[in-house]
Amino acid sequence: MAVEKELKIELGKQGIFVTTIEELYNWGRRSSVWPMQFGLACCAIEMIATTMARYDLARFGAEVFRPSPRQADLMIVSGTVTKKMAPQVVRLYNQMAEPKYVIAMGACAISGGPFKQGYNVLKGIDRYIPVDVHIPGCPPRPEALIQAFMTLQKKIDGQPLTGEGRPRYLDADAQCEFPVPEQGAHDLEPPSNRGVWPVEIQGRGSRD
Amino acid sequence: MASSPYFSLAVLFVAALLFGLAPLGLAWMWARLFSPRKPNAIKNSIYECGLVSKGDAWVQFRSAYYLYAIIFLIFDVEAVFLLPFAVAFTGLGVAACVSMLIFVLMLVEGLAWAWAKGILTWA
Amino acid sequence: MQRAEEIKAAIEAAVPGAGVTVVPNPSPSAQHALRLEPAHAVAVATFLRDAPGLAFDYLSNVTGVDWLDKEIAEKVKVTRQVTKTVDGPDGAKVDQIVDETAEETRKRVEPGYLETVYHLYSVALHHGPLVLRMRTVNRTDQIQLPSFTPVWRGAEFQEREVFDLYGIVFTGHPDLRRILMWDEFKDHPMRKDYVEPDDYEYEPTAHDAVLKRAQEHSAAAEGNRE
Repeated sequence: MAVEKELKIELGKQGIFVTTIEELYNWGRRSSVWPMQFGLACCAIEMIATTMARYDLARFGAEVFRPSPRQADLMIVSGTVTKKMAPQVVRLYNQMAEPKYVIAMGACAISGGPFKQGYNVLKGIDRYIPVDVHIPGCPPRPEALIQAFMTLQKKIDGQPLTGEGRPRYLDADAQCEFPVPEQGAHDLEPPSNRGVWPVEIQGRGSRD
Repeated sequence: MASSPYFSLAVLFVAALLFGLAPLGLAWMWARLFSPRKPNAIKNSIYECGLVSKGDAWVQFRSAYYLYAIIFLIFDVEAVFLLPFAVAFTGLGVAACVSMLIFVLMLVEGLAWAWAKGILTWA
Repeated sequence: MQRAEEIKAAIEAAVPGAGVTVVPNPSPSAQHALRLEPAHAVAVATFLRDAPGLAFDYLSNVTGVDWLDKEIAEKVKVTRQVTKTVDGPDGAKVDQIVDETAEETRKRVEPGYLETVYHLYSVALHHGPLVLRMRTVNRTDQIQLPSFTPVWRGAEFQEREVFDLYGIVFTGHPDLRRILMWDEFKDHPMRKDYVEPDDYEYEPTAHDAVLKRAQEHSAAAEGNRE
């Protein structure tokens, strides 16, 4: 049975701490978001700066950058995703253990950015994997990355463990595999994962 | 049985065993109960920088690598002996100095032997 | 550095039948290029590297150019025999054959070709750049050019890049694979007739080319929906 918010605050004033399993669980998850240690382009430099002493990402429990996807909770897509690199990024995301989150950092990771008209640039990583937080900027400042972290923590805090809106991994029926695109003769195949990207993208193949 | 002089030892042994195994068991149970399981073929494949892995992860190392490691270990341990010797150096007599010198020279001889045998060259 | 014509003369003295032509550059930089015949190119390159007065020991840059088929309209003077009715001396009409010259525009298609451009410098003698060019026969099947990798090792990756993006096949290259795009890729993206994947997202933009693509895309999407 849930304790009402006002009552909880009142009890807190009296020195009695009331919590629920859900709150405790989410608090544990949001306070130890371990990002994966990899960078794709110039945004990675800002990401590295964020972890250093001046910006100090350790305040948010996220200073441990793990070099293995098995131990990471968060993928920061920091930089331009080329079509040559995209299958690797998607495969790494698949190899991370649940629960896992994605921050698309910078214009390139969101949409292709200044290289959008290039033949070899993926126009946004959210064509293949679900993104939780987008940060605009070219590159975004470390403060923006910290803001993204706090947004992600708020998102984790608000996730119920049961019922509608529960995270994907607590839903037995939810699909947790995100197909890795193949490198085809003209373009990536398929050009998007329809499970996460609602609009159909015509590949080069349909025009030949 | 309780009067046996080894009884307390047995109790301690079992307690020590439980002390080690209980956290492992609890962690395993916690994982079984709470951790979400979402395996798939891509997730279970070998992790290799995001690329499809080629070959087997169980590769054999050259035996020379282990010889190299053992030599490193000997000199590592030597440092443990040298440190207290260096700290107490001013209060020690000639005999201590000479025996320490012999100890170090023996190790140097070992190193020279390994060198001559070609263990230090990585071919 | 000697002028391009002097270098050309030196090459022709050293490599008989080299067939070097000077491609003038009318811009103020006046960096005239030397166009080499592919058959003798490696010999010429070796000479340029080893000749004591030239000593081009550093290959700075390799790039490619794609020249499409060119349609040239030129005015030609054509002389034709025309029968004309002229007033005769006695007042009667007489047919006379007269030569008439008229100007006509004729269209001629000059076949396209692929070109490589090499920039050479001499670190030893502090001079350069010397620009070398080579042309393929056409853009489709005869696209082989000799590789300069045996002469300047630095050409290796850049020639792979030119192969990847323009599709020029370098004979004599030790490791001719794609370097930027993946191995399964079939196109050559820097060619002018390359068709980009239509995976574009649209936003207000000042570029006419992008707007045109956006219109084409939405027209195609409309067609698909119906």
